[in-house]
Amino acid sequence: MVKKRLIFTLLYSDGQFMLSRNFRLQKVGSLEWLQKNYNFSHISYSIDELIVLDVTRGEKKSEEFSENLKKLTESCFVPIAAGGGVSTIKAASDLLRSGADKVVINSALYENNGFINQLASEFGQQCVVASMDIKSSLDGGYQAWSESGNKCHEGSAAMWIDRVAQNNVGELYLNSMDRDGTGQGYDLGLLELLPANISKPIILAGGVGNAAHLAAGLADSRVDAVATAHLFNFIGDGLKQARKSLISSGIELPLWDIQLLEHHLASK
Amino acid sequence: MAAKVCGDMSKQDITVIDYGAGNLWSVISALRYLGCDPKVSGDPDEIMKADSLLLPGVGSFRKAMIVLKEKELDKAIVEVVQIKGNKILGICLGMQLMGTNSSEDGDTVGLGLISRRVDKFTHQEIGSNKIPHIGFDLVHSQLDSSLFKGLQQATDFYFAHSYRMLSAGLSGKVGTCNYGVEFLAAYEQDNIFATQFHPEKSQTNGLMLLKNFLAQ
Repeated sequence: MVKKRLIFTLLYSDGQFMLSRNFRLQKVGSLEWLQKNYNFSHISYSIDELIVLDVTRGEKKSEEFSENLKKLTESCFVPIAAGGGVSTIKAASDLLRSGADKVVINSALYENNGFINQLASEFGQQCVVASMDIKSSLDGGYQAWSESGNKCHEGSAAMWIDRVAQNNVGELYLNSMDRDGTGQGYDLGLLELLPANISKPIILAGGVGNAAHLAAGLADSRVDAVATAHLFNFIGDGLKQARKSLISSGIELPLWDIQLLEHHLASK
Repeated sequence: MAAKVCGDMSKQDITVIDYGAGNLWSVISALRYLGCDPKVSGDPDEIMKADSLLLPGVGSFRKAMIVLKEKELDKAIVEVVQIKGNKILGICLGMQLMGTNSSEDGDTVGLGLISRRVDKFTHQEIGSNKIPHIGFDLVHSQLDSSLFKGLQQATDFYFAHSYRMLSAGLSGKVGTCNYGVEFLAAYEQDNIFATQFHPEKSQTNGLMLLKNFLAQ
């Protein structure tokens, strides 16, 4: 049985790492800042997977992002997914050569099935993470948004999730725009939008403020992984403690011994 | 930043075989983290001179074998490993390529360093489990395994694959994983080492395993 996963999502914009609240971005610091003040390399030992998204509004400098990704992944020994505006095979391939194992696709999901199929045939379906931004609508339903939360897609979110899930993607990353960065906990209502027979892994994102929120997400059998993008909610050894409490509450996360680093392995 | 080296890994001469298959960055980063300065080469003459080899890989068996043959890397690898007796570690597709043959995209002959064929998981054998097998899963190793030295006998490693070798009846030290069917997760016999999982993506468990390989 594959274990459940705790994922950290890093938001990158134009050389800086960011916090997001309801899709409004706030600068936190550069990669150097992240390593120096936040000891990100060490924090990475408390997660099962890392997602790095280039959320730069407007024109993205993809080469610079790849360089940052390379530096960041130099000392992260977990599976890594990266994305942000990926709409060509070349862009995907550049990320995969810079340390990423999977590519996150968002806006292109709504436009171009041909591209998704091409990605899957080139790199394998397991390589494609479909990221969907979902927001509640005034009528009490949900809708799917793309282009950094600027474009609303006609039809219900459930319809879009079903359509995307049937496409050549490996897993689904469902992000609540309403909860994004609020620390109020996941919107578990998103899970009700899933087709009943879905067989692809589901990553739940948006809204985590504490370990109990992570646990609430993982406790749902439809959820394979939970993600948080909030750099400050788990500051210090917050993520380590959160992981510990999830494991001791019986959630099946993978186990490893961080102390091996000090005792047996080289350390930087 | 220079790495503090535990044991003298800097003297390790290891060559990562570059045949255009997937993400070499992660495996190179992990070796550097452990204090090695790996060479990366797709040149059979360089491979022939290597003290130890690492065969990584993600992608299709058939495509990979075609490239290995075109570049005459297949002969070089087999010679270094079987005649010179130097050690090799195959990772993921790299391990599968060490098998006898694979049914991926039509039957293709492999390097023949592990006497097993490679086939896709069948729904019959894995039941309701999903293909690909992707994520951290438990690997059970033998007590006298050198790759798993210092690790628990059941340890989590990161997998991402749809094809597998079966472990039953295979000689050598085997590590197994149960995904509805028990399959070969790790293999070691004399100078031949292989893992179906990605040690470079498996946190300290994987770093420890790589260090154990380097120390062989």
